[in-house]
Amino acid sequence: MEKRSKFNSSIALLFRTHPEFGALVGLVLVFVVFCFTATRFLSLESLAGIVTVASELGIVAAGITFLMITGEFDLSVGSTFGFSAMILAITANAGIPLWIGFLLALAAASFIGLINGIITVKYKIPSFITTLGTLMFWRGILLAVTGGFAVRYWGTSSFLSGLNGHFLGEFRISSIWFFIVIFSLNIILTKTPYGNSTYATGGNKEAARVLGISVDKVKVINFIICAMLAGLAGCIQFARFNSVDPLRGTGMELEAIAAVVVGGTLMSGGYGNLIGTLFGVLLMGMVRSGLIMSGAPAYWYQAFIGIILILAVITNTKLKGWAIK
Amino acid sequence: MKKDDFLIKMVGISKQFGTVQALKNVDFTVKHQEVVGLVGDNGAGKSTLIKVLTGVCPPDSGEIYFEGKKEHIDSPRKARDMGIETVYQHLALIDLMSIARNFFLGREPVRKFAKVVNFLDRKKIDKVAKKSLKEIGIKIRSVDEEVLLLSGGERQAIAIGRAIYFGAKLLVLDEPTAALSIKESHKVLDYVTDARERGLSVIFITHNIYHVYSVADRYTILEHGEKIGDFNKGEVSAEDIIEIVRTGETPARL
Repeated sequence: MEKRSKFNSSIALLFRTHPEFGALVGLVLVFVVFCFTATRFLSLESLAGIVTVASELGIVAAGITFLMITGEFDLSVGSTFGFSAMILAITANAGIPLWIGFLLALAAASFIGLINGIITVKYKIPSFITTLGTLMFWRGILLAVTGGFAVRYWGTSSFLSGLNGHFLGEFRISSIWFFIVIFSLNIILTKTPYGNSTYATGGNKEAARVLGISVDKVKVINFIICAMLAGLAGCIQFARFNSVDPLRGTGMELEAIAAVVVGGTLMSGGYGNLIGTLFGVLLMGMVRSGLIMSGAPAYWYQAFIGIILILAVITNTKLKGWAIK
Repeated sequence: MKKDDFLIKMVGISKQFGTVQALKNVDFTVKHQEVVGLVGDNGAGKSTLIKVLTGVCPPDSGEIYFEGKKEHIDSPRKARDMGIETVYQHLALIDLMSIARNFFLGREPVRKFAKVVNFLDRKKIDKVAKKSLKEIGIKIRSVDEEVLLLSGGERQAIAIGRAIYFGAKLLVLDEPTAALSIKESHKVLDYVTDARERGLSVIFITHNIYHVYSVADRYTILEHGEKIGDFNKGEVSAEDIIEIVRTGETPARL
């Protein structure tokens, strides 16, 4: 092994300790490209549009990040998202105060997370399977209960505007919730003992266990956090549209996972952070808006995200491989 | 209660996994400031005995006394709180985490924020980790480096340093010299001697009789889940121990 210059090894340390680095570079690149190709990409409305889309996805992705660092997956977030929104819609139409409906929706989401967690740790099966099962189960319940029809809430409420009203022109309050979620989770993760336990559980479950960490408890709690955030995002999106259909949130899990992975978090657990996810969802929001504004049909979005996902993971893997040499 | 001469006294420990009797009525002791070599072939029950002692898997029957007091060690956390620190061969440290974070894992010093939230005391974590590792003579560039960059010997050293810092009374080393270079093995053996001089007792589990022979005060030999021998240093040669492990019998002359 050749000796590395001091400069090189500090760059390597930077890469290793900052999983978000690659996503930041990608974000800047995409931003610069769209500035040239898309007219009005640099306007305040365009920026607000990007952040609005990114925020709802981002709250879901934040939960997934937390859980992925713990070494587990939640594929059921899309169903949880739709389920919670539906609870809020139905309770609102039944005349129940919205804040109570909101708490019920979050409680239901947490319950879904609790079930995911308990099944996964108790029966020691991959969470990929557990949550694939619950993805289908809750979606099925949702379709059965509503008969496939959308539910619309005709009333107006200051509670809903608090969840996702406008501010500063085109901006949405959801973006504030998004930033609060990202930063508080990141503080928990990087600055508290619980965050340490989370990294350790995802990094090496058995080692964490023999060091006295209750890894099963950490996992179940993080399943609950992830599901609750999916529920929160569902309610926030409901507040934007005032309606919800039983297919709401379908496919969201994959988009959220893509954003998390682009942000540098390892699928295998133990490594990653929320800042990377922030960059990841902004990148995806930017691609979505930027393509449309460049005049490309909306269908191209998925194709582009697919390429970006693969490129991002290749780059992150290469960088990491270089950095630990 | 009379203070026992023994730090650890395990009496009549049995443990069954399914149809496999992993431990059969094993007695095992460690005195204060004693290094005990726990030897035996694969599947002899060494690891199971240690897992029982460290709360990873509770015994089916048998009793454990720590400093003369009967204890139920039902979790690794309990064992650690009592002063039993274990350094497992592959489970000592978390690769993707920094040296400093590994050092305090599960026992992080905190500062209260607004009297409610516990934040990691990063300053203390970095300072203490750096100082403790320097004390036991391991050189690292930065405590912020991840463990995955370290050699096997450095990892053992960090885990041992951690145990000493947290005031362990008993240090359990699981195959500490497996997969280490000759130089590094000798360093680890030095740490063991050093730990005893600081007043710790050590259980040293190994296949390599020659490694344990030089540092241990006593050798306990397991075979098929049973204790087949317990010898003080000087009673047997390294070759005798190998012979016993190999044949499962104590030669008549001993």
